[in-house]
Amino acid sequence: MRLLTHNMLSSNIKGVTNGFPLLIEAVKVVEKEVDFNEDFLKNMFVKVEWKALVEASRTLGYTELPESAEASMLDSDEFLRKFHHALLELHLEDGALVCPETGRKFPVSKGIPNMLLHEDEV
Amino acid sequence: MVVITGGGGVAVCTCQYSRRLFCGGPTLSIPRTNRTVDSQPALLIGCTTSRRRITHTRTSSSSSSSGGGRRRRMTTSAAATSATETLKKGIAEFYDQSSGVWEDVWGDHMHHGFYEPASDVSLSDHRSAQIRMIEESLRFASLSDDSVQKPKSIVDVGCGIGGSSRYLAKKYGAKAQGITLSPVQAQRAQELASAQGLDAVSFQVADALNQPFPDGQFDLVWSMESGEHMPDKTKFVNELVRVAAPGGTIIVVTWCHRDLSPSEESLLPDEKNLLDKICDAYYLPAWCSTADYVKLLQSHSLEDIKSEDWSQYVAPFWPAVIKSALTWKGITSLLSSGWKTIRGALAMPLMIQGYKKGLIKFAIITCRKPAL
Repeated sequence: MRLLTHNMLSSNIKGVTNGFPLLIEAVKVVEKEVDFNEDFLKNMFVKVEWKALVEASRTLGYTELPESAEASMLDSDEFLRKFHHALLELHLEDGALVCPETGRKFPVSKGIPNMLLHEDEV
Repeated sequence: MVVITGGGGVAVCTCQYSRRLFCGGPTLSIPRTNRTVDSQPALLIGCTTSRRRITHTRTSSSSSSSGGGRRRRMTTSAAATSATETLKKGIAEFYDQSSGVWEDVWGDHMHHGFYEPASDVSLSDHRSAQIRMIEESLRFASLSDDSVQKPKSIVDVGCGIGGSSRYLAKKYGAKAQGITLSPVQAQRAQELASAQGLDAVSFQVADALNQPFPDGQFDLVWSMESGEHMPDKTKFVNELVRVAAPGGTIIVVTWCHRDLSPSEESLLPDEKNLLDKICDAYYLPAWCSTADYVKLLQSHSLEDIKSEDWSQYVAPFWPAVIKSALTWKGITSLLSSGWKTIRGALAMPLMIQGYKKGLIKFAIITCRKPAL
């Protein structure tokens, strides 16, 4: 699971008011090289929750992202490369996504999160 | 599910044959046979309607029994939740078992092709017909190709092995998430996406009735032939609307039953019987009509709600699937898959029957969420 995906997922357990972002418990993290696409990154920048991305990348061991970011930073190649790396090249293979309110763990296995709720969470 | 109340007790009926809370009607069965694979027609001819074998489990709500421990009281709502869980498990297992066979014979799109009415199609035309189904759906919804207006984020609800997700992500240069109840499908979908270098396409095991996304995330909310699996159409539509971004487009392509006339309260008994048999084989809950979907969308103040009956454009599909199942590759794949898949294959003539009777409709329903 890439952080691009993590940035889109939330806990929708009944009664939870703020299920985003999910905390990450990393058991196995893998780095996979991905082709650099500037246009794609610029398009994605608008949609990304920056703080969640920074936190998540730190959990996975990458500390290069700035605390905050603005559109003007997209002109910097160095920034784009860091953004690219955090968003697309860090993979959580095994571990869990954790609901920030209830602590409930959603398992991640072979890179696929299982977000199914139990009967009593619906 | 049938819940019979009588004499202070509540009974839950379980169909022993399909091992799920049955949705009524006789079920298909194959009598045991020693026939070999070579006599292919025998597999289909051998289908007869079995007598319903029902196990009644009685739980009494009265506490007049002497001695012994507590009796568990199954309330109607708990039973309903249980039925949904059983259905979801059945769906996941069905697709865990069947996806490989389908992909082998038909490729990575698990949906109907779109054909010219009354056309003559050969087995090789179906792949392009399936692509055409996607394109016609986008066109019907008036989705723009324009670089500013095109969708940038897409959710594929009931994504199968991700055929639509990958196609749409490639077409629009967008990111796409696919959700499915089947872990096998999610894994396969991800494998294919990685193999194709689609880094912005990802898949999760999740429930369409409780989508694991915050509100308003997706410019395009896509449900291609998954709506028929949803046991709660209201919740299903609520979730589609919730995750759609302001200005986003929702596209639902699904199997419905015919619209009821104003004087009708429900379908005719023999129509219900036919659908029930199909339900069993494909892990479907009760069907609804296209008009029902339109009503649900209308209750959300959405814009530009459109629907159309595309049954005439998909007519060659089921005969083609049956033909492909009867090839050597089809038969051997089915036999090595499992009972659920085989039963699904055996139910295909029922789908043709349903379409011919004008009972089953292939419907598209689209709309747009108002921009802020």
